[in-house]
Amino acid sequence: MKKLTRIGLAAIGATMLASAGYAQEYTIGVSNTVQGNGWREEMICAIKAQALASGKVAKLNIAHRNTDAAGQLEDLRNLISAKVNAIVVNPADPAGIQAALKEATDAGIVVVAVDQAVTEPSAYIISNNQEQYAYLGAKWLFETMGGKGSVVYMRGAAGASADSDRDKGFKKALAEFPDVKVAQEVFTGWQQDQGKQQILDYIATGVPFDGIWTSGIDNVIVDALVESQAKLVPVVGADNAGFVGQLNSVAGLKGAAVTNPGSIGGAGVTLALQILEGKKPAQQTVLVEPALWENVTDAGKEQLKAAADPSLSPEWPVSISINDWTSYTKDQIVACKGPGE
Amino acid sequence: MTRLLRNNGWVVGLSILLVVLFVATRIIQPQYGAGDFGSLVRAVLPYAFAVAAQTVVVIAGGIDLSVAAMMALTSVTAASMMAGASEEYALFVVPFVLAMGFTLGAVNGLLIVVTRVPDIVVTLATLFILQGAALLVLDAPGGGIAEWLKNLIVGTVPISGIPDTIDAWIPKALLLLGVLLCIVWIPLRRSRLGLSIYAIGSNQLAAFRSGVPVARTKIMAYAIAGLFAAMGGISLTMSTGIGAPIPGPYLLASVAAVVLGGVALGGGKGGLLGPIIAVFVLRLLRTDLTLLAIDPNVTAIVEGTIMVVVVMFGAFITMRSRSS
Repeated sequence: MKKLTRIGLAAIGATMLASAGYAQEYTIGVSNTVQGNGWREEMICAIKAQALASGKVAKLNIAHRNTDAAGQLEDLRNLISAKVNAIVVNPADPAGIQAALKEATDAGIVVVAVDQAVTEPSAYIISNNQEQYAYLGAKWLFETMGGKGSVVYMRGAAGASADSDRDKGFKKALAEFPDVKVAQEVFTGWQQDQGKQQILDYIATGVPFDGIWTSGIDNVIVDALVESQAKLVPVVGADNAGFVGQLNSVAGLKGAAVTNPGSIGGAGVTLALQILEGKKPAQQTVLVEPALWENVTDAGKEQLKAAADPSLSPEWPVSISINDWTSYTKDQIVACKGPGE
Repeated sequence: MTRLLRNNGWVVGLSILLVVLFVATRIIQPQYGAGDFGSLVRAVLPYAFAVAAQTVVVIAGGIDLSVAAMMALTSVTAASMMAGASEEYALFVVPFVLAMGFTLGAVNGLLIVVTRVPDIVVTLATLFILQGAALLVLDAPGGGIAEWLKNLIVGTVPISGIPDTIDAWIPKALLLLGVLLCIVWIPLRRSRLGLSIYAIGSNQLAAFRSGVPVARTKIMAYAIAGLFAAMGGISLTMSTGIGAPIPGPYLLASVAAVVLGGVALGGGKGGLLGPIIAVFVLRLLRTDLTLLAIDPNVTAIVEGTIMVVVVMFGAFITMRSRSS
């Protein structure tokens, strides 16, 4: 018994030493300019969870609101005033926030851009490959349509850089299938209600279509098709929990989910901490390549089954972690609590 | 002195609030210095012009919902014209874009006067039109800007006779803002047109019966608002180096600062100084909330609450002083 206590004490001592080694020393600033969108909320929660799980972050300063590039400049400069050690930023525009990013790196702050690239050369970038995201999904969709027919092209927000990058990928795939025509091109603004209204309006016109490509506003599109008893055409979306669930359960629906992990925010924290500790990555830009899960082949169905997670909010991407880059648990990201909360 | 205080009580009160906020900022972040103040002024710039535009229209008894869309359109126009062009070309672009803002504003006013459709409806319609036009000019953020324009708001300008330590607290952006606002506002305030703007805002019928050209005054008020909005649009391009076709959060912010600045939404009362100080208050508040690392979902609630409390408190004080 005595021996057991001694072992227990030793174990406690060891953990204490270990945690002393992981001193909570850094303050990390976060700047994000879209609020109330499932993907972005997951990104913020991943940042909080990773900061907590790393044990090296004492405090997070989060500037998270709906604003433009000029507003992000303001937020970034406020974070510089707050003397944070690193800034994780999802840029409102790649070039528009360059001035503040340069001021930050000049002040010795490590800057990591997540999700989208920035033009400032001193900043590090860890991002999902948006062009490839659109290309993969569009190519699969056009193949599934038999290489011909008309497609409804439901984009993101007009003017957003992730949207224009995806447009490049979509057009690239379109060029490879000369018999596929765009029946209708709309901007959903990455808003669920707006996207659903747009597809209902289009179904109401009675013009036939053979496929729908969405920029991540996906589950409401399937809902609309089912509710209006329209022909279930192939649908491409993102790996949002709701859509992945539909791909597994809606009878007769052919579709594919392309991964676009919001957990990239957590990866940004990991990268920032590595750089703060002197481990700089070989390249300034780290790209996370998307994967495609479809429900036509057996292999694809297996992937979708494994990925499905009904416990998540339907607007959250199911890829809540990224191998080698995030170390938090699912409970931690769902709880969405950062250090000190 | 007491008369001056009574007449400008709201502005004085706001200034005190601003000073209190600065002190609070220094307590939260002891290293808050001149450079940080420069950042604040640069953040204030687009808001200040949006508020100036809104102020003129509100004093004239109207409201302009198209302010932010006008800023987006003028910003993308300036950015797309200057992209890849020579430094000198900007000397042409800036007056062109300002004239464009002035004209578009005048069109707003003209539509309101001719069609007799309420301001709020006409400017809501132009909001959508201008927003669409901005996307036609640039469908994604882009464009460029002349270096010298960008540098107009970066750093400080050495003024002889002022020690460097004080000079550091006078950023270029502040000077630019002051000069541009004064160039338009002071002559306007002292002119017959300025008086007419207050008159039609205060009581349109009485103004008409006293021989004020109501229609012309209203059109001019909207045109001047357009001019300020164009300045705001150019200032957006100056700070970001690009033009963005999707309007930023300037419409609601401009109405908020107008109210906080002591301008009566009914028209006819208030000045420009109050709303401009109000913009500084709101931006500094945002800085403090970021410095304090307040939960981002709570910051909007805090901002809104403080605004309501200040306006209610101000109205209470005004009522008390009037009754005594």
